[in-house]
Amino acid sequence: MRREIIIAGRGGQGILLLGHVIGVAAAKFSNYYVTGTESYSAETRGGDSKAEIIVADSAEELGYMKVREADVAVFMYGDQLVKYSRLVKQGAVVFADSTFVTEVPEEGWVLKLAPYTKIAETELGTPRVANMVALGHLVGVTKLLSTEAVEKAIEHVVKKSWVELNKKAFRRGLGLASN
Amino acid sequence: MRAEYVTSNIAIAEGAMASGLKFFAGYPITPTSDILEYLAEELPKRGGVVIQLEDEIASINAVIGASWAGAKAMTATSSPGYSLMVEALSFAIITETPLVVVYVMRAGPSTGVPTRSCQYDVFQVRYGSHGNYELPVLVPWSAQEAFDLTVKAFNVSEMLRVPTVILSDAMLAHTWEKVIIRNPSELKIISRRKPEVPPQEYMPFKPGEDLVPPMACFGDGYKVMVESLTHDERGYYSPTTEVQERMIRRLVEKVRRNSRLIIDYETYFTSSAEYIFFAYGSTARSVYALVKELRREGIRAGLYRPKALWPFDEGGLKKIASEAKRVFVVENNVGLMYKEVAQVLRDKEVISVGIIDLDVPSPDRIKEVISEWL
Repeated sequence: MRREIIIAGRGGQGILLLGHVIGVAAAKFSNYYVTGTESYSAETRGGDSKAEIIVADSAEELGYMKVREADVAVFMYGDQLVKYSRLVKQGAVVFADSTFVTEVPEEGWVLKLAPYTKIAETELGTPRVANMVALGHLVGVTKLLSTEAVEKAIEHVVKKSWVELNKKAFRRGLGLASN
Repeated sequence: MRAEYVTSNIAIAEGAMASGLKFFAGYPITPTSDILEYLAEELPKRGGVVIQLEDEIASINAVIGASWAGAKAMTATSSPGYSLMVEALSFAIITETPLVVVYVMRAGPSTGVPTRSCQYDVFQVRYGSHGNYELPVLVPWSAQEAFDLTVKAFNVSEMLRVPTVILSDAMLAHTWEKVIIRNPSELKIISRRKPEVPPQEYMPFKPGEDLVPPMACFGDGYKVMVESLTHDERGYYSPTTEVQERMIRRLVEKVRRNSRLIIDYETYFTSSAEYIFFAYGSTARSVYALVKELRREGIRAGLYRPKALWPFDEGGLKKIASEAKRVFVVENNVGLMYKEVAQVLRDKEVISVGIIDLDVPSPDRIKEVISEWL
């Protein structure tokens, strides 16, 4: 098993944290091998932000460190969807935050749209956990990681005072998968 | 033993601590600073000292001093910082000071693109200092290997009393991967040999059979000499051709004769391979992916990947490439190690595939370049 995942959006949307939680959940709390790279612009808000994660059963399978043909993608903003759609393969499962993504090109993807930011803002009290709602949606649909592994990773990575809210957001996202 | 999701930089810091690092001195520089930052947090908890100095020159000199005080010592820098360290590195070579330098390559010349990657410094790392010497250089291709080779770098450095370099690059430095971090009790950790003779009989530069002199440090009760002028076995300045030749040959030979302790490589699909790829560090990751693709297409390609760049593994390379029709040397520069490979494989067609990429040459780009030779 080898899966390429790309997560992209604007700085401030928690893209890198989302990628990091997946990496920790896969490497530390599951039996997978992982390679993760990050890129971001100098601005703390509004610039480009991207995480690329490759998850595999063995270290040998990892190979090239960057995503070439993503099996799974999360786009939290429209501009980055346009910019990085070339890295997403046909048939990929693509998650997008419909709060900001209004148009999706016809690429032969399995599209999963939900208003992550709106859900976070209205139901959880802050748009800052939109990334965890998206993560829940991703995990619920792809079953790439177990709920337990992700929750442990959230506890491991996220600042203590934010853990509960992040876990709540993650579980809210899981719920989107059954819709 | 524990599994963590960390960058190669952090894996190096962990590997150093597992090896018994007791002193780290450094000056912040992209893309290496997080080694200093991480160790500043972690090493004091394990009884070690971390000091940020005014520059790279002071840092490596402090590391030399710490090593002579008996501590396992390390510094970490990137390309421009190494340029500043090479003078003191030469001092460490002639005084046979065990120490480890972490060298994370970044795109130069000069300040170039400070945050981005390259493999431009594979010769500078080896030949940057003045004098005639051998310098072991280990070159990881993953975060796990960064941990493993850091442990090895300390062992080599301590065993042979020679500065040893871990050569990484900006791409690897900030790539997160699963790393199995072993405890010291799960690792083979080697420390410098101490003198076994009484102090009055001790000669600080009299080698053992392995050509390495046992090392007395300050405070051990022996007469300690740290002499940067050409010296005899007693450590006394001796400006004669005879002593110079003996010293130079020993400094070189102690590494060459013990090169089996340093040299290591991995091969992938090389048996019956028509095309052998030579690649190292982050670029080898791309080549590995490409070789797998070529195999799927029915092209008999294989990868030879040195884990030690210096001393150069002539024997291993010759053996692996003996049946190959063509050898491609793929690297993130204009073709540097190519010269070394071509010299060793004189009877082969060796093709330089030098690709400049601020991250790492992609498998697609490499394939584009080599396709006309397949």
